[in-house]
Amino acid sequence: MPGVLDYNAITKDYGRPWSHRRLRALDGFTLSLERGEIFGFLGRNGAGKTTAIHLALGFMRPSSGSGQLLGKPFGDAPSRARIGFLAENVALYHRPANKLLLFYGALNGIRPRRLRLRCREVLRQVELEAEANRNVAKFSRGMQQRVGLAQALISDPELLILDEPTSALDPLARVAMRELLLEANRAGKTIFLISHLLSEIELICHRVAILDKGRLLKLGRTEELLISRNRYEVVARGIPAGSFEHAMPQVRGLPLDANLGWNGPVLFTIPVSAQRDALEKIWALGGEVLSVNPVRRTLEEVFVELTNRGNST
Amino acid sequence: MRTALLAANFLREHRWPVLLLFVWIILLALASADLGRPRAMPDDVTFYIEQQAIFICIFSAFLAADAIHNDRKSKRILLVLSKAVTRGEYLLAPVLGTVAAAIAYSVLFWLCASWLTDRAALSGANLWAVVLLAIGGSLVAATIALFFSTFLNPYVAVAATVLLVTAPGALHAQRHLWSLWLPGFPILVQIVNFKPALEWTLTWRPLLLTIPQAAFFWAMAAAVFNRRDIAVSVE
Repeated sequence: MPGVLDYNAITKDYGRPWSHRRLRALDGFTLSLERGEIFGFLGRNGAGKTTAIHLALGFMRPSSGSGQLLGKPFGDAPSRARIGFLAENVALYHRPANKLLLFYGALNGIRPRRLRLRCREVLRQVELEAEANRNVAKFSRGMQQRVGLAQALISDPELLILDEPTSALDPLARVAMRELLLEANRAGKTIFLISHLLSEIELICHRVAILDKGRLLKLGRTEELLISRNRYEVVARGIPAGSFEHAMPQVRGLPLDANLGWNGPVLFTIPVSAQRDALEKIWALGGEVLSVNPVRRTLEEVFVELTNRGNST
Repeated sequence: MRTALLAANFLREHRWPVLLLFVWIILLALASADLGRPRAMPDDVTFYIEQQAIFICIFSAFLAADAIHNDRKSKRILLVLSKAVTRGEYLLAPVLGTVAAAIAYSVLFWLCASWLTDRAALSGANLWAVVLLAIGGSLVAATIALFFSTFLNPYVAVAATVLLVTAPGALHAQRHLWSLWLPGFPILVQIVNFKPALEWTLTWRPLLLTIPQAAFFWAMAAAVFNRRDIAVSVE
């Protein structure tokens, strides 16, 4: 069964076929988006993220491979009526916000009465109701980005493709945008999100893909990606101060309660290879093990580790 | 419906050059009217009519040639083509917008030319024909320029259009019957040979051929544009 958005071994080269200066933006890229998920798409600048989106929308053709958007081949115009797209550095015609939304909605074939209702609704959602009659040319960058999101939402799409939707927003607007995306997702929309704000991706995305030099470095559920299989966190108590470090010098303990110090619970971060040894040491020293959990990293740590590893190989 | 919306948007985006040309046509009419004298000079009026009719065609080529380039440069094309709009529909919009501007321009030209022929005591009975030639010429010029603009810089596209339309003149093609089938050229010949007199008659075939010719160049433009990477930035 096809996904909402499928890439099948897509390669995209920029430059003329006979030129020596061809640039490979995507290299055998395969990915499938599941219906109803928020998918985070990460990568450094020039990794090929925007190219992947532009291919899906039919702005360009793959050099090889194929793909489907909502079950239709990339570039199928009618299927684009069911998606909402917000470009990085959104560029809008200089018209009043409400007229602009009516224009973009009408391009998707929405009937006038419904379109007027949707226009009011999305302007309220992006908190621009009071500015509806103002020309977007006079808007700040952040406000223009919100109009951009409004035009993406205007046809109540099944799939939202958002390229850096929060890049120009202030922290409060960013929180509001996050809530809006979560609300849209609860309403059943699939969201394909590119962002360099990894903390945001970590907060809202169900699955994450990391792209580097056009290749997929990692794909998985966010929670699983963040869990380290190499290191474990052990919380124990009742260990005499200094005794554990004496037994295992490579492991440092961190008292979790500053007032109690080593009399309270102490956190040890232990490599998986030393886990059994460490637990036996704790028991041998008369300590009590309270919990053993894999280390939870931040997405930023995972991203840096993977992309650095990708560069060194 | 989508094309009409895009065409209206195209006209709105180009409203200032269009309005400026409206002022220009009136100013030139006033200059040709020779208001200091009781009558306008017939040669001046004839020149005005020919010049304006050709000018409408050239203006249409400029307007259409710039359409894709402008939208790509500003990246506004991305949001438009992320909607349920085909590239063919997108390309039809500047053609319709340009022809709408050319019709408005031609109506004003007709009014000015009628006034001038009256002042020069010339016959204005055939002015409708030169207006039709101007509109037909703009349709062909716009679609040819649009076709070239799908793979050339807009200025080069206009130059290529002018070359394609006028080159047969260098070969004296007007002497041959087959020249009536050429795109734009027989229209140009008729405009240049126009005389505001009753004996001048319109040859309909080239005018009627402008519609299939425009459709052909639009289809060619759509075929080329369909293969273009529109997200790649333009100079």
